[in-house]
Amino acid sequence: MGFFSGIAAEKYDRQYSDKRLFRRILDYFKNQSNSLIIIAVTLVIRSIIGAINPVIVARGLDKVTQETITTQFIFTLTGIMLALGILSWFGNFLYRRLTARTIAILIQQLATDAFKASVHQDMSFHDNYKSGKIVSRITSDTREFGQLITLSTEVLLELVSSIILAAILLQTEWRLAIAVFLLVPLLAFLVMRYRHIARKITREGMRAMANVNSTIKETVSGIAIAKNFRQEDKIYDEFDDANQTSFEVNVKRGFILAIVFPMLRTIGGIATALLVYFGALTVLEGFVTAGAWYLFLSTLDRFLYPVMRISSFWTNIQTGLSAAERIFALIDAEHSVTQVDSIAPKHLDGRIDMINVCFSYISDEKVLNDFNLHIDPGETLALVGHTGAGKTSIGRLIARFYEFQSGEMLIDGVDIRKYDLTALRSQMGIVPQSPFLFAGTVEENIQYGCPVCNRSEMLRIARQIGEGEWLETLPNGMETQVGERGSQLSMGQRQMVALMRVLIQKPSIFILDEATASIDPFTEKQIQSALNMILSDTTSILIAHRLSTVKSADRILVMRMGEIIEEGNHQALLSQGEHYAELYNTYFRHQSLSYVEEAKKFANV
Amino acid sequence: MSTSTAENISEFSFQTKYTTNRSSPMRWILSHAIHQWPSLLLAFIGAGGNAALASVVPIFIGRAFTEILLPEPSLSLIGRYALIIGGSQILRGFLQFGRNFGFEIIAQNIERYVRQELYVNLLGKSMTFHNLQSVGDLMARATNDVREVNYMFSPGFNLVIGSLNFLLIPLIVGPSYHIALIATPAAYIILYIIALWHYLTILNPITSEVRQNFGEMNSRLSESLDGIEVVKGSAQEEAEIELFYKNAADYRDASIEQGIVESRFLPMLLLGITMAAGLGHALILLQQGFINIGDVIAYFGTLSLLGFPTFVSLFAYSQISLGFAGAKRILELMNTENKLDQNTEGFGYPILGAIEFKNVSFRYEGQEHSLENINISIKPGQTVAIVGQTGSGKTSLVKLINRTFDVDKGQVLVDGIDVRDWYLEALRNQISIIEQDVFLFSRSVEENIAFGKQDATREEVIQAAKEAQAHEFIMSFEHGYETVIGERGMTLSGGQRQRLALARAFLTSPRILILDDSTSAIDSETEDRIQQAIFRAAKGRTTLIITHRLSQIRWANLILVLRQGRIAAVGSHEELMQKSKSYQQIFSE
Repeated sequence: MGFFSGIAAEKYDRQYSDKRLFRRILDYFKNQSNSLIIIAVTLVIRSIIGAINPVIVARGLDKVTQETITTQFIFTLTGIMLALGILSWFGNFLYRRLTARTIAILIQQLATDAFKASVHQDMSFHDNYKSGKIVSRITSDTREFGQLITLSTEVLLELVSSIILAAILLQTEWRLAIAVFLLVPLLAFLVMRYRHIARKITREGMRAMANVNSTIKETVSGIAIAKNFRQEDKIYDEFDDANQTSFEVNVKRGFILAIVFPMLRTIGGIATALLVYFGALTVLEGFVTAGAWYLFLSTLDRFLYPVMRISSFWTNIQTGLSAAERIFALIDAEHSVTQVDSIAPKHLDGRIDMINVCFSYISDEKVLNDFNLHIDPGETLALVGHTGAGKTSIGRLIARFYEFQSGEMLIDGVDIRKYDLTALRSQMGIVPQSPFLFAGTVEENIQYGCPVCNRSEMLRIARQIGEGEWLETLPNGMETQVGERGSQLSMGQRQMVALMRVLIQKPSIFILDEATASIDPFTEKQIQSALNMILSDTTSILIAHRLSTVKSADRILVMRMGEIIEEGNHQALLSQGEHYAELYNTYFRHQSLSYVEEAKKFANV
Repeated sequence: MSTSTAENISEFSFQTKYTTNRSSPMRWILSHAIHQWPSLLLAFIGAGGNAALASVVPIFIGRAFTEILLPEPSLSLIGRYALIIGGSQILRGFLQFGRNFGFEIIAQNIERYVRQELYVNLLGKSMTFHNLQSVGDLMARATNDVREVNYMFSPGFNLVIGSLNFLLIPLIVGPSYHIALIATPAAYIILYIIALWHYLTILNPITSEVRQNFGEMNSRLSESLDGIEVVKGSAQEEAEIELFYKNAADYRDASIEQGIVESRFLPMLLLGITMAAGLGHALILLQQGFINIGDVIAYFGTLSLLGFPTFVSLFAYSQISLGFAGAKRILELMNTENKLDQNTEGFGYPILGAIEFKNVSFRYEGQEHSLENINISIKPGQTVAIVGQTGSGKTSLVKLINRTFDVDKGQVLVDGIDVRDWYLEALRNQISIIEQDVFLFSRSVEENIAFGKQDATREEVIQAAKEAQAHEFIMSFEHGYETVIGERGMTLSGGQRQRLALARAFLTSPRILILDDSTSAIDSETEDRIQQAIFRAAKGRTTLIITHRLSQIRWANLILVLRQGRIAAVGSHEELMQKSKSYQQIFSE
């Protein structure tokens, strides 16, 4: 996991003008204008309280020094302080509550919109952009943007408070005030320098950490091998090196990080000392009252920490805004598959025509050129050919996962662009090459394409396949948890679930991109029988990798570079002794039983 | 449990710098921290000194204030006060740095030693343990949880211990002006502790809920996007959006809940009240002539030092509790029992290769029986094909032979001797297991092949690679045998990885070879090579192959068909073709 993953630019990224970006951001706040107003009000109230609190104490002290104090005065002063304390807490209470709420809602809206946009994107988009990066835009970037809002309001609060205070100080004694303000650029300079160093060493620290992590990961995964060969010492040494290096770098980083607050503290202390002396001088000269002197002393720190916050704020605002930009770019990314009508067929016969179809993934590399194909309802068609021949593209175009550039595609004689996509696809059963399952039970996964299908129907079909033996191998039957991405099931079991999905859905068109993974021979037999059940009454397009599948097809298309170069059934094509025979020799020969018998020759080498 | 015995019986022991007490997270962390005593001392001196010197500022500002109100104020005395303030704050800067850096050193050291301890412990765990534990989980503990323990010290303890001293200052400085001035800070401390306790008990479950909701939202999100083809193919886009909306709403609600709890942070209200009450109290004492105006200012100034512990507690305590949770998880892992032992006194003869299973039953912890009543007898040099569906117990069966697992009932005998009576190293040295997912280290091809025989010459390595039909594809790489393999062998195909593992086996020449073979060749030519490599590897040694390959099954001396942990059929190909119907089926077209 790269630390900066998700930050890398993608092709669909765009630059928004500041004006447009802010307008987009404001749109999301529209429904929350009441909260925003209250947040602004509490913010101002808290800033004022923060600024006048020390002023009131200082004025009170002036009073105390100038006249004898009455009990009433004490109670008034204490009362005001108490009221301000409570008011400030209450302001903070409202402010925190509302910002948490506003930001949580904002994040949810943004994330949902971003997710919606990415789900509706067509497959070519998902091919090009890794899901991990999209995920990080949807979750991390939205969170980052949310943090920007929190941070902005807090910095604003400090800024407003400091400005009010600065005005009061200026009005009290401008020379002393300017002397205090001189601290600001000095601190800003120091903090900037410091941040530069700190960022560098932090990056080094992260790298060392990442190194330890990958060493641990590698050796933990390899522990079984190490144990088998008794090589524990060796992998231990490797770990120890990485661990040691990480320690050294991180102590260095700790040194740098430990310095900043003491440094600010020391500068603040020296400034206080100077202010004590020179302030006293001005008091003696009669420029200011003792109370005003105290005001300067007690508010000095207020100019110390905001400098640090604000100087780091500019980097944060940049990261926050570019996070926003990345989210909007995802939301606004253009689609290539577009429908012109929304015909929703109740049933399809499954007649497919491709007429002079041209298709390419990237603009100049034609995958299909002037491609023509007719498939009859109920026909089983197998596509074979070397990698890159265009087999998969045909399946994908029929599923309308991609947009083709020219020509015509008809389903039941109707332009594929005129269908409602959801309605069209619910008539199709599609099994991708590596069957994908969602975390949940086997049952939930089978139901995925047909939420209304019930269990008895599922069990009925399941039992028709190899007497339901595959169900017995699942520890809890239909209730078995498949784990994330189906990881708890074997490849064969996953394929069975994927085929079951299609079986209960009873689609009009079946598209199978056959898996190449090897499966135990018993499960393989069951997969074959499940497949036969689907093929018997569905228009099927099979991107075939198994000999048995090819043999079961009514018609085999041999493809090369986007063109059909041979057509016919297995026996006929094999006896022709041309392209199909060559493919057979390359990909299918070792799957035949005669090869198994022949294998003895290797045993005797 | 004492550590020394735990480490002695394990499979791998290594001397760590010191032993630790693993009976509870608290004791364990203490037993680590105690070894950092020089840094601890530095940190504590820094923390105490920092707080003490912080009080110098309000005290001397108070004195300066008293001085200036005198009819004849002495500017040089105020100058002295200023020097004391400046000097003390410079010193304080160093002490504060000592505190920060002291805790940082402790934190980094503890991270290092905890990780080391965990790692040595993991190496010492049996293969049973490693086979049952997911790599992801181990990784999380070795990285995140160890990190949390680090953060517990810095910033966690650093801020807590650093700020607790600040609580004490008004308690000490106040009474030095007038004994009654102890009242306000004392009341604050008591109420602060109660309010903080209350706050943390409410906050902790909510923050974990937020984290959990975020995790759920995230994992389903990445699943939906990874399976986007299925989502689209099944026309389930709207359902996925709705589900995401729901997950995001759960996360939103939990975040709002957390914000509400945080907004009610009572210590902050207490601080405001304390400041007002303290000022009022001091002014009354002033009015009655018990203290002077400078004392009021000094006292009020020290009260404002309470701000530090108040604000720090918003997050520092949560950091510590996260650290403890991490420590607890690490300890759980380390304290998991280790069943197998080395048995250094056991048999250490060269193995001939006879294997016998006698009434063997075995199950994974917490699951149903995965193997039941298995009886087989394998002669030296035989090739056995093990066939069955996933979950039928094929892998468990072979892993009983090299004691990756130990049987629950019955016996596994190698050359007539129970495997538990063999010296573990002698047994494993002579048995080679090639796993389904062949693991390769991120090192050169040569080092990977020679992993089991470190002193192998280049010629021997090449010879082994040739035997395993790997030489040709290795030479097709730009750097040949020097090629460094990408993480988890990603740059190689399954078949290629398998052949590298076979080359490893040719080099170590084990007496028993166990091959979990489930690779599939895309093309017939590769298949030819794999066949050749496997048949060759099986020659002259007892070989057990878990296989999907009909050709391997067809030509094995003995075929074992497993079904749900039991032997469904056993015999030669000819025998099974007559006996077993399902066996016949897989050999029919």
